[in-house]
Amino acid sequence: MLSQHSSVLVVDDESALRKALRTSLTASGFDVEEARSGEEALGTVQQHQFDLVLLDVSMPGMSGIDACRRIRGISPQAGIVMVTVRDQEDDKVRALEAGADDYVTKPFKLRELTARLRAVLRRTRMSEAVEPVVLRAGNLEMDLHDRILRRNGEEIHLSPKEFDLLAFMMKNAGAPLTHVKLLRTVWGVEYGNELEYLRSYVRMLRKKIENDPSNPEYILTEPWLGYRFRDPSDPDSPRESAQDD
Amino acid sequence: MGDQYLRGLGMSARVLIGSLAATLLTLACYRLHADFASVIPLYVLLVVLQALTGDFRSCVIVAVISTACLDLFFTEPLFSLRIDHPLNALALAAFVITSLVITRLVARVREEAKSAKLQKERLNRLYQLAQQLLVLDPDAPLGEDFLKPFRRLFGIRAVCVFEADSAELHLVGDSRELATKTRDAYIRGLDLDDADARVAVRRLRTSGQLDGAIGFEGLEDPAETAGALTALTAALLERKIAFHAASASAAAAQTEIYRSAMLDALAHEFKTPLSTILAGVGGMREAGPLTAEQEGMADTVENEAARLGKLTSRLLRTARLDNEHIRPRLELVDITAVVAQLIRQYSARSSDRTIFLTDGQEPVQALADPELIRLMVGQLIENACKYSRPGSVVTIAVQRQGEFILIRVSNNGSSIPRNERSRIFERFYRGEDAKRSTTGTGLGLYVARKIALAHGGALDLETEEQGDQVTFCLKLPTTKDELKHALTA
Repeated sequence: MLSQHSSVLVVDDESALRKALRTSLTASGFDVEEARSGEEALGTVQQHQFDLVLLDVSMPGMSGIDACRRIRGISPQAGIVMVTVRDQEDDKVRALEAGADDYVTKPFKLRELTARLRAVLRRTRMSEAVEPVVLRAGNLEMDLHDRILRRNGEEIHLSPKEFDLLAFMMKNAGAPLTHVKLLRTVWGVEYGNELEYLRSYVRMLRKKIENDPSNPEYILTEPWLGYRFRDPSDPDSPRESAQDD
Repeated sequence: MGDQYLRGLGMSARVLIGSLAATLLTLACYRLHADFASVIPLYVLLVVLQALTGDFRSCVIVAVISTACLDLFFTEPLFSLRIDHPLNALALAAFVITSLVITRLVARVREEAKSAKLQKERLNRLYQLAQQLLVLDPDAPLGEDFLKPFRRLFGIRAVCVFEADSAELHLVGDSRELATKTRDAYIRGLDLDDADARVAVRRLRTSGQLDGAIGFEGLEDPAETAGALTALTAALLERKIAFHAASASAAAAQTEIYRSAMLDALAHEFKTPLSTILAGVGGMREAGPLTAEQEGMADTVENEAARLGKLTSRLLRTARLDNEHIRPRLELVDITAVVAQLIRQYSARSSDRTIFLTDGQEPVQALADPELIRLMVGQLIENACKYSRPGSVVTIAVQRQGEFILIRVSNNGSSIPRNERSRIFERFYRGEDAKRSTTGTGLGLYVARKIALAHGGALDLETEEQGDQVTFCLKLPTTKDELKHALTA
C-alpha cells in the first residue's frame, strides 16, 4: 500500500483529537508525529521530513493558513491536508491558495481522512514522475499528444478550451480546484472573476462526458469553491460532496 | 375684583387730571382773550397728551369736556352752546373728529403693544416650560416632575394628565374634579371647556392616535394657551413612546445577536469532539479485527456522530444565512435536476416516507444560486417529512407559470392550524404541535423565505380549508431569454 510507512505530522491544539488521530492513523499504517501549534509544527518540519502534514485551520497563535504557507516554504514536497469547518468556504480557498493540497471538513470519518491522505500522497509522488501522454479515468481516455478524448472508445468532440479545461482537471484528478485557479490556468492570468465562463464550460463538459449531467460522477462541484475531478475507478475518491447534508 | 377696582380708580384719576387740565387751559386762554382759531391746536394737544397717558374712555371724556369749553368760552354767542357762525361750527366739528380719531389710533397702538407684550411673555413661558420638560428623563412617566413646571410658569391652580398607555393619572395642585374630568375627556374622546370652573381639558394625540388627556384648572385665557401646552405635552409623550419603541427593539436585536452567536459557537464547538469520536471509532476498527457485533456498534457510533456533524453544519449554515444579508451567487440552474437530486438524497434518508416528483420531467432553468436553492428546497422537503406521519407521501411539482417557476412541496397527513398559518414564516416561531412532536430551531422556514426573496421570488403556504394536506409553494423568476443566451453562449 502507498501509505505504508508514510509519515504524517498531525497539527492540532486539541489534545484528545491528536491522541485519537495518532492511534487511528498508526493503526491505518502511518507513522504519526504530533505538534500542538503552528509554531511547534514549523520547528518539527525543520528537523524532519514528513510525507504528509494534517493541519488544523483554526488554532490559537499562528493560524493554520500561515503555518501552511511557511511549511510549504520549508518542505515543498510534503502533502498538506487542512482540517476545516464545513461552512467556512473562505478558509478552504485561502488554504488552497496558501499551498494546501486538499482539505477535510470537521467532523470527518477516519476512512474519509485516510482516503484523502492516500490520494494526496499519490498525487505528490506522481508529480515527481514523468507526465503521461494518455490520461485515464473511468470510461474516459484522453490523449494529450493528439488532443483526443474518447469515452468508451468513442471519440468525443471538444472545443480547444473544453479540452484544456478537462485536461487540467484530469491531470489533477482528486484535487480540489478553485474557480480562480481553473480560470487562470486555462484562460490566462488576467482572468479570475469570470465564473460564468467557467460554469458554462463545465456545463458543456458534463453534457459530453457524464451519464447524467445533473448527477455528475466525474466533475464534482465543491460548493462555493470550485470543482474536483473524480476518477470513478479510484477507490480513494468517494463521490461525497458537501451536498449530502 | 381688586384689579378692576384699581383700574377704575386709575381711570377716574386720569379723567380728573384731564378735566382739570382742560379747565385750566380754558381759564388761561379766556383771561388772555385768545381767539377761537388759536386755541383749537392747544386743545388738540391736550387731547393727544391725554391719549398718550390715559385709556380710550378717559380720552373721550376729556375730548367732550374740551369741545364743551371751546363752545362755551370761545364761540359766539359766549356762554351758550349755540354757535352763530357756520365756520365756527365746522371748526368745532373738525376738532371733535380729529381728537376722536387721534384718541382711537393711539389707543389701538397701545392695545396692540400690550397684547404683543403678553404674547411675548406667554411664548417666553412656553419656551421655559419646554426647556424644563426636555431635560427630564424621556423614559419617566409624566408625573409630578413633569407637571410642576406647568403650575410654576403659568400660575395654574391645578394640572392633571392621563396617560392611556399605562392608564396612570397624575395630578398636581388643588382640585377635586379635574382628575375625573381629565379621564372622562379621554374616555369620551372629547375636549372640554368649563368657563365657570375655569377648567380646560384637551385630548393628547400622537401620530394621529389618542394617547391621553391633559386638564388645566385656573389657566388664564385657555383659548390662547391650552392648545400650545397640549401640543407640547403631546410632543413629549411621543418622544417617550418613540424612546420606548427604540429601546425595546434594541433589546430584541441584542437578544437575537446573542442567540445567533450562541448557535454559531455551539455548532463550532461540537465539531472537534465529533471528529475525535469519529477518529476513535475508526481507529478501533483499524486496530484489530472486530466481532460482527462490535463492528455493528462501531458503525452505529460512526453514523450517529456523522449525523450529528451534519445537523450541526446545517444549523450553522442556517444561523449564518439568518444573520447575514443573502447575496445569491447566480448561475443558470436546472431546477428539475436540483429537485431530482434532493429527492434521491431525502428518499435514502427517510425510508418511511415516499417522496416523488409529480410534475416537471422537463428541465426548467432559472438564474439562481444552486447552493441556496438546494438548501431552501431541501428545507421544504425535510419539513414535509418531519411534520408528517410515517408512511406519508411527499410530492414535489416543478412547473413553469408565465414569468415564474413554481416549486410545490406537499405532504399529506398533517395540517397547520389556521391561527398559526400567518406566523410560520416568523423567525424562531414554532407551531404548538411542532414544539411537542419534533425539535427544531424555528429558523428553517424563515431562512427559506429569505432565500426566496433574495432571488426575487416568494415562498408561501397553500392550504386548503379542510383536509390534511400541506403545500408550500416556492416561486422563482425565470431567466430572461437574452440573459440565458448570453450565459450559455
